[in-house]
Amino acid sequence: MKSIWLVVGAIVLLSAVIAAGIVETVKPRPVELIPTLTQQPEYCLTCHAELEEISAAHPVKTFGCVVCHGGERLALDGDLAHSTMRGGANPSDFSVVEQSCGSEQCHSGSAQDRRDHIQRATTSIQATYAGALANILYTFGAEPDLTARYGISEVKDAQVQTVTGVPGLLTFEAASFNNPFIEQFSQNCTTCHLNAMPAAGEEYDRFSGCSACHTPLKPRETTADGNIHRLTTAMPYTQCNTCHNRGNYDLRTMTFVPRSDHPTDRLRDYYQPIAQFVKCEYTLDCVDCHTRIEAMGDGDLHSSKKDIQYIQCKTCHGTLTELPRTTRLNDENDIAFRMAQLNPVVELKLGDEILMTAKGEPLWNTRVQPDGTFELVGKATGQTFRFRPVMGSGCKQNIDQQASQYCHECHSVER
Amino acid sequence: MRPSFFHHLHPPTIPAPQARLSYTLGAGGMSVFLSLVVGFTGILEAFYYVPTPEKAAASVQTISYLVPFGGLVRSLHYWSAQLLVTMVAVHMLRVFLTGAYASRRRFNHLLGMSLLVGAILLNFTGYVLRWDQGIQWALVVGTNLLKTIPAIGTSLYVAVTGSTELGPLTVLRFYIWHVFGFVLPIVVIFVWHLFRVRRDGGIAVPPPALRTQHERISRSVLVRREVLAAFLTGALLLTLSLIWPAPIAAPMTDVQAATGDARAPWFFLWVQQLLRWGDPFILGVLVPLAILAILGVGPYIVRGTEPADLGRWFPPSGRSLQAVAILLALGVVALTILALLPVP
Amino acid sequence: MQQPSRRDFLKLMATYIAGLAGLLGGYGMARFMSFQSEQGQSTEFDLGPADAFAVNSKKVVTEIPAIIARDAGGFTAMSLQCTHLGCTVEESADGFACPCHGSRYDSTGVVTRGPATRALPHLRTEVSAGGHLIVHKDEA
Repeated sequence: MKSIWLVVGAIVLLSAVIAAGIVETVKPRPVELIPTLTQQPEYCLTCHAELEEISAAHPVKTFGCVVCHGGERLALDGDLAHSTMRGGANPSDFSVVEQSCGSEQCHSGSAQDRRDHIQRATTSIQATYAGALANILYTFGAEPDLTARYGISEVKDAQVQTVTGVPGLLTFEAASFNNPFIEQFSQNCTTCHLNAMPAAGEEYDRFSGCSACHTPLKPRETTADGNIHRLTTAMPYTQCNTCHNRGNYDLRTMTFVPRSDHPTDRLRDYYQPIAQFVKCEYTLDCVDCHTRIEAMGDGDLHSSKKDIQYIQCKTCHGTLTELPRTTRLNDENDIAFRMAQLNPVVELKLGDEILMTAKGEPLWNTRVQPDGTFELVGKATGQTFRFRPVMGSGCKQNIDQQASQYCHECHSVER
Repeated sequence: MRPSFFHHLHPPTIPAPQARLSYTLGAGGMSVFLSLVVGFTGILEAFYYVPTPEKAAASVQTISYLVPFGGLVRSLHYWSAQLLVTMVAVHMLRVFLTGAYASRRRFNHLLGMSLLVGAILLNFTGYVLRWDQGIQWALVVGTNLLKTIPAIGTSLYVAVTGSTELGPLTVLRFYIWHVFGFVLPIVVIFVWHLFRVRRDGGIAVPPPALRTQHERISRSVLVRREVLAAFLTGALLLTLSLIWPAPIAAPMTDVQAATGDARAPWFFLWVQQLLRWGDPFILGVLVPLAILAILGVGPYIVRGTEPADLGRWFPPSGRSLQAVAILLALGVVALTILALLPVP
Repeated sequence: MQQPSRRDFLKLMATYIAGLAGLLGGYGMARFMSFQSEQGQSTEFDLGPADAFAVNSKKVVTEIPAIIARDAGGFTAMSLQCTHLGCTVEESADGFACPCHGSRYDSTGVVTRGPATRALPHLRTEVSAGGHLIVHKDEA
């Protein structure tokens, strides 16, 4: 064997080594992030550097990615890194929400801390679908009354704290009722609870779990890499619309009849013909009035959405004899002030006075003006509305008839 | 030129047929080089590997993705280990098909067989050290096979896994077996094996009186060939590592969680196929042991190849063991192919 | 046959005696290696309030692994560990299938196809004083 072959062999080896070196240097350099909350290094930003912050309340420097999304924090191979992500791309899906949005430090704490969002949301009427189920079962004679006994999945409540609360719900299994209508309902009409993926169609487009509401898709704001990465408390009414106000159930055929039009003019097209409504209902967004308890529940299992809705005209306007309830922001650690800071709508300062509901929920998008009138800023629109209390106005209503339905008699809008 | 240390590891000259590639296939020499690579890369990995159930898979990820050239080192370790098992098996098959196990070499043949067993044990323990979802069923099955052995099964299981069930100590046990428990005896046997090759007169060729060819080559030529082979094998390992990095999967969450890939590592696929057919002790323990016994004891029972027939493939004497070796090799290949076919 | 020399005899004796010492040492090694310094995994699984399991429902608990069924008569827990070599079986159309070596069981755990020969064992269950369902990893 001639020595020249040794040289050739050495050149082959050198080429392989150089190739290995080149492969190593062209690889993206790992980008490390050590979130202050977890103190565990993660390398997701190596590829996801362009991703926008999900919300002001969840800065990536504090939370990182893994605490919510799971996944392999050290892997730089997309397939492996993503293989253990919670709930795929949506960690707020209720199947994994306890591990992602949950944990005592986050949204799964005690009611006293007001960190029990997950317990409340997963037992809320929007998640259990108990209201719709109870109505259908009663209508077709499967149950004696409108009390909820079934939910989309089985759930129990150890501590019933309200009059309308029920101790538990069984899993709704349509076949067990031996009723073709109920089975049809089950096939056609069970895509509108928070656990479900929505029906096909752009007008139903939403995620499941917390993101069903907190990640609005209208308008569909994608990040640089085509993902949707956003959480907000400023949901426009269009997001509520992916489930609500979508059409009618036809009780005769037990099908869902979607409305054929796409409401764009809220005054003329939005409400169904028989509906009675006032100006603020088509100028404000749903979340400007409806509170966290109304949307996410109070921790009890209820039979109807009516059990949990309590906002009235008088919540903001008061009555002839009473001004609306207010609270003054005196403490930096006060929950009202913290929420106002995290979800900045009005630039509230310590000492400001805001409206508060009958159940003590602060309406941090409002402010009492020095002249005794009120200001409300639309959470999603940023539009400012000014309004007066009823007290001292020319209202002729009987003093003992102060529920919203009486206000509607005079103040409902004509289309 | 004064001979160097490496030259002195070889005899001054050897008969040319002992170094013919078409005779030796270079499999033994390649195995030596691959052992050096696998040992060196293994030491490098040990600087980062953490043998605890919580951190094992994460530390493999750290090596694979974060340590500069770590992925390359791990892939080199992986590929040299796979090639090592292959080359040792090829080497053994060559020994059978050329009759090189005959007479006084049969003890060295036993040493060589224990090195094959050692290479497979090291490969399996190393595979398990990934501690991810890709290995969990192999771990469960491999260790449960030990339990099926009558009388000593449970003790053996504890000796291997550290407990009566797979638990927190298991990864430490496998680590110690991998880096010390198997490696140290293998190093001793490895040196012994090479020593015996020299003592038995180098690679098997007819004794000088029966030789037709009398040409000899010097050790400088031999070393040059070895260096060239090392260069080319090194380049091959690098190329394989760059194209197909070592496999990795998501960390094991629970050893019984039904998530993993149920396929055995490639060198045990034939055993997995056997196990589909019945009793685990007979098919998973006795059959492989019987194959080892036949291959190891065969040269002590069968008369084997005549000295004059040495140095070439398929010599006329010693056909029976050639046939046995070929049948067993074909059997293992056939079972492996069956195991790769989709399960009906 | 030639008488072995005194030297050969002594050499043989030394070998045997050293061999015996080696065997004893090996036994010690084996004892050393098979000590369990830590308890094996738990053999008792607390599955939380028994009331959480609805009557006539089934639930897979992966950490045992077992499938828990509740009927009017009470609880049954069936192990999901293949009786062949211990892989966790997966639910299939007609019962359970083992991914490792292809054993099949029907929905009651009886073997319908080998290599497994024993049915999936039923595990001992009890409801504790606090109303929790406890599954023991030994056979009922």
